[in-house]
Amino acid sequence: MSPFGALREQLLDAATAFAGAPSAVPGILSGLVDDVDRALREELEIFPVCHHSPASALAMVRRLREKQPKVIYLELCEDLRPLLTELRNCRLPVALQAFATDLDGFPPAWGPLSVVAPITEASAEYQAIAYALETPGVELVLVDRSSDHVFQWSPKEEPEAAGHGDDAGLHGDAVGIEIGDLRPRFAELEEHLLHHGKVRHWSEWWDQYVEQPLAGADYDTYRQVMVLIGSLFRRLGPGGDRLARDEDRERYMWTRIREHLAASGADPAECLHVCGAFHAASQVEQFGLASEAPAYDISPRTATRWLYGLIPSSHSAIEAQFGLASGSVSIAAATWAKAVARGGDTPYQLAGQKGTRKRSARVRQGAPSPPAPVADRLSGFMSKPPALDDLDEAELLGWCVDVVRLARRNGYLASTADAIAVFETSILLAGMRNRARPTPYDFQDAAVTCIEKDAVPGRRDVRRLCEILLGGDRVGEVGYDALPPLARDVYDRLKPLGLDLEKRTIQRALLDLKADPEVVPCSDLLWMLRYLLPQDAVRPIMGERRLGERSIQESWDLSFGRHQRSIIELGYEGVTVEQVLEQRLRRAVWEPEATAAAALAAVEDALLYLGGRRFADELGARAVELLAAERTVDEAPEVLRRIRRLLAYYRATEPELPAWCEAFVSTGYAHYCTLLPTAFVDEDTGVRQVGAMLGFLFTLESLALALGCDRVQLELAVRQSHPEAPAKMALLWAAQSQLGLLPLPELRARCDELLANPLVIPSFPLYIMGFVQAVEPVPALAGFVVEVISKAFGRLPDTVLLPWLPKLITMLRDQAGELMPMLVREAGRTFPGGLAAVDAWAPPWSERPARSAPGAERAPAPVPAGPVTELLAGHPAACDAVAELLGCDAEWRAPLAGGADHREVSALLAGHPEAALAVARLLA
Amino acid sequence: MTDDMLRAPAEVKYAEELDWLESIDDGPKPFSWRLSPRMVRLFVLGSERSDGLDREIPQKWFGDRSFVERSIVTLASDRGLLLIGDPGTGKSWLAELLSAAICRNSTLVVQGTAGTTEDHIKYSWNVSMVIAKGQSRQSMIPSPIMTAMEQGVIGRFEELTRSTSDVQDALISILSEKYVSIPELDDDNIVFAQPGFSIIATANSRDRGVNDLSSALKRRFNFVRIPVVTNKRSETEIVRFRTEELLRRHRIELDVPPTLLDILLQSFADLRAAAASATSDDEKLESALSTAEQIGVLEDAILHSNFFGDRTLRAETLAGSLVGSLARRSPEDLAILNKYWHGVVEPRSKQDGGPWQGFLEGGRQAIATLS
Repeated sequence: MSPFGALREQLLDAATAFAGAPSAVPGILSGLVDDVDRALREELEIFPVCHHSPASALAMVRRLREKQPKVIYLELCEDLRPLLTELRNCRLPVALQAFATDLDGFPPAWGPLSVVAPITEASAEYQAIAYALETPGVELVLVDRSSDHVFQWSPKEEPEAAGHGDDAGLHGDAVGIEIGDLRPRFAELEEHLLHHGKVRHWSEWWDQYVEQPLAGADYDTYRQVMVLIGSLFRRLGPGGDRLARDEDRERYMWTRIREHLAASGADPAECLHVCGAFHAASQVEQFGLASEAPAYDISPRTATRWLYGLIPSSHSAIEAQFGLASGSVSIAAATWAKAVARGGDTPYQLAGQKGTRKRSARVRQGAPSPPAPVADRLSGFMSKPPALDDLDEAELLGWCVDVVRLARRNGYLASTADAIAVFETSILLAGMRNRARPTPYDFQDAAVTCIEKDAVPGRRDVRRLCEILLGGDRVGEVGYDALPPLARDVYDRLKPLGLDLEKRTIQRALLDLKADPEVVPCSDLLWMLRYLLPQDAVRPIMGERRLGERSIQESWDLSFGRHQRSIIELGYEGVTVEQVLEQRLRRAVWEPEATAAAALAAVEDALLYLGGRRFADELGARAVELLAAERTVDEAPEVLRRIRRLLAYYRATEPELPAWCEAFVSTGYAHYCTLLPTAFVDEDTGVRQVGAMLGFLFTLESLALALGCDRVQLELAVRQSHPEAPAKMALLWAAQSQLGLLPLPELRARCDELLANPLVIPSFPLYIMGFVQAVEPVPALAGFVVEVISKAFGRLPDTVLLPWLPKLITMLRDQAGELMPMLVREAGRTFPGGLAAVDAWAPPWSERPARSAPGAERAPAPVPAGPVTELLAGHPAACDAVAELLGCDAEWRAPLAGGADHREVSALLAGHPEAALAVARLLA
Repeated sequence: MTDDMLRAPAEVKYAEELDWLESIDDGPKPFSWRLSPRMVRLFVLGSERSDGLDREIPQKWFGDRSFVERSIVTLASDRGLLLIGDPGTGKSWLAELLSAAICRNSTLVVQGTAGTTEDHIKYSWNVSMVIAKGQSRQSMIPSPIMTAMEQGVIGRFEELTRSTSDVQDALISILSEKYVSIPELDDDNIVFAQPGFSIIATANSRDRGVNDLSSALKRRFNFVRIPVVTNKRSETEIVRFRTEELLRRHRIELDVPPTLLDILLQSFADLRAAAASATSDDEKLESALSTAEQIGVLEDAILHSNFFGDRTLRAETLAGSLVGSLARRSPEDLAILNKYWHGVVEPRSKQDGGPWQGFLEGGRQAIATLS
């Protein structure tokens, strides 16, 4: 006879009375009681838990002390078991992590796979783990599906984006695993409960209706109520995939339990199965040791290689990942701490656990108690209002005073009067919400009402301050011994710096590499970490590392404490930082989207961080392959910049260029020659790209020719190019001028023609853009570019010039930043240096045409007098014969009087002969 | 009685309900309150079956429960209550309901304007009586706030931040000392506040910076910020509730099809999202896009359909009203609406069809007329 018969009758009566017509209600209500009955009668004791519930943890402590089980079956991924012993080296909360990058059997797009199971101190599972690991002879068996099955069974769910504070993103985008997920499975039920419970969010509901009443309840009540809630959410759930998955997990767990019992021969009476309350009300056929159902056929794991480790977690990260109200885990932790301090229960703790108060391990270990018969505690629990906690005035007063102090420190104009008001308002609010004792949520509301005004003066608002006050976010830390080899290696190698890298504050490291050569390896390591870790983790403040340059002093801001997860996750990739770096660089050049520019960057990084030729040469060879296979020239500017830098570096440091560099230049020469005509015509290819191609071809030409390339190829390519866009046209002219196909005067004449043509004037700025880009491949043209720009400024009408000026500035800044010094220098050479000289200044190009223009009105060249002239004039036959031969029909002109070089002097003397005559007379 | 008034105050409109609540209220009441705090909350937020009442109390203000609780609790403490929020979020309505429930008098209101003087807050004199009989309590005209003090009820101050700082500061002594002295009189020259007196002020967060509250005054008020309702369900409730009231008031019998209500809510939600992502003031509508504005749009459409249309609310009319109400600045607002109509409404009308097509047409026409 079930002890719950009376309750079942009562519920069925209620169902008939209220539901009226036949409905599902009686089934659900009696089902709830049946579930509780079944779970409690199970031979293997089931301990239902809820995550982050201090009541669960307290009940667990009491039960473990009382029962002292020999085997504990825990609902946690079975492959995480080896990690549990490492928990003692950490400061909680930390998360157990399973991580996989080499996927086999999963779509590649899913990678990297990551599963985290956060563990907090105020949780039942931690108590179970601590008990099992600290008590000799107790076995802890994880029975839930492995991390591999998590992904096998589920379509990948996008975890919620963490939008909280800095520490809320500690879990990255891992899939979270919780022990004892207990929450309504569909939104309407939760909304209904919140609405009728007159609370704002789920954590508050749970706290008020389950947590508080169960905090002091006896074990039987606790167990029955938890199973009842689990059953309620199960029966009022939407079913579907999620339920099917849960049921599979239950089959999995029960199969594993039975396997273990059969293998070890343990007595079920000495075992405890710790699982979520939801699973305690399971209806799968494998449920219970007495079940006759065949064992669940567990699918094999995929060949994916899983790596395991501990990563730091935080309360806010847990809240963000599992959609809990902000601050709820902190409040749970505070409740737990208070309950432990108040009650006589000494919680279990792993020896050596960091960051917690050491509690005396000497606890009375009573003899295991015999199982008591199951009695109905549910009727009492459900029919009585929860026993309300008395107002803990001292605690509330403490909160009020503290929050005002904290608010003042954060810029609020809060005073003692506010503390009084918060106190009064908290009590009034609690009273309105049927609570004798204000909960932290009431207190928070009261503080917001009384202190928060129209604007938040500082970084944190009152709500956040209350969270900080009530426990604040706690960030865990993985201890040295639990770190993967790579992370330990990093800490070891950075020891010469003498910093405490485990601190969560930013540490400033000062390295004098000259005076203290032993920190040089630290500097090398820091540069590698800077490449591998997120930006904030390792930040150079002073000093830089570029090809061929090393600083003699460096200073760094290190924030390893905050980025411990990143360092640990590096550990999944290799054993040393160098190895990881090498892998990453190699992966970067071998991935399908890799480009030549990226490969050159990798070469540069390899030279900077790893040193040594072998690896750089390997990457360089790949760069040559990539360049030859490229069909676009989008990255030409980057390629040019990088290869120039690398060539300069090798020329300066090595006796000869590496083979790949030579191959790269000769391949590049041929490659860009081939692509040049298309690039000139292709609309998608920018001027900058074509400019960079020409830059490659012209500036590396000597090397390429020395390596056996043929210049004719380039000339042909330029001849084949027929661009239409003005900017590219200008580039082509520049290229032709460089190749000697277009003399400068002709180029100048073309530009003058353009400026004189009103139809072309609007597009003239585009030509200038092209010429500016041409300075890079044809530096000799710089003077001409200055000339063209000056002419444009002088002659373009305002309607064209003014709208174009901003464009010119932005273009120069974006695309020609490195060319500017050259242009400015050239301009400085051309224009007068002082204001005074401006008036008298005439541009050099405006005079030249007057002197040398081959134009129509050719003034007769003055014929200087002198011996040569006399000779020619005396014997004209030879000249006449040559002229006749050449077809030149010219006349002999009379020579000027006097030397041509002294024309002015002759004119002066002719005009004013008096002085000369006087001198002559004097001499005579 | 309510028939004689265009708009009856809450205590008159819900007099019967308040009487009934008072009769069953056995909870502790602060000061001279007519209802206990829980009953006040029940009156404002409506009853549920779980409250176990014999009759249903309809919900009158829609919003987060905790705002109401915090407001009531503030009134039970010795601080004033300042409801702050965007225009049209129901601040004044909540203030009225709270005053009606607590003291059955929501009409002791001072309206804050640029022209409000200290006399409006304290007292003024009946000049002819002063000439005839001299200065005495009889010739004094108490302000609504002073009346509230004398009677121990709630006084209201609407748009506190619209009045100038010196006028605002007159409230400081009222809220801290809880008395007003009348230096013109030789005796009986202090009016003490009776228990139960408090002030509910409202302030528009868009007016911030016009006449900022002094720190001394801020300290004497608890601020409750009422956000714009973005929850679609509550918003539907509010719009339906207010529209029904309106139809009743105008004695109009006209059905508001739920699909049109959905369109209205959806378009406001879209425009709010657009405003939230705008980077400058020119890119967002001048309107706060509050629930009150939605009600305004619907009211406009209903009246238009009733008097100039065929007594059926059509999507075209609704679109016209929406454009007419929201296009305040030309060309900025019109440009935004035009963009919205072509970028969002048009694709949606193609996809969903139904009344969206009419909405598209109506909006286009309205924009064309205004441009």
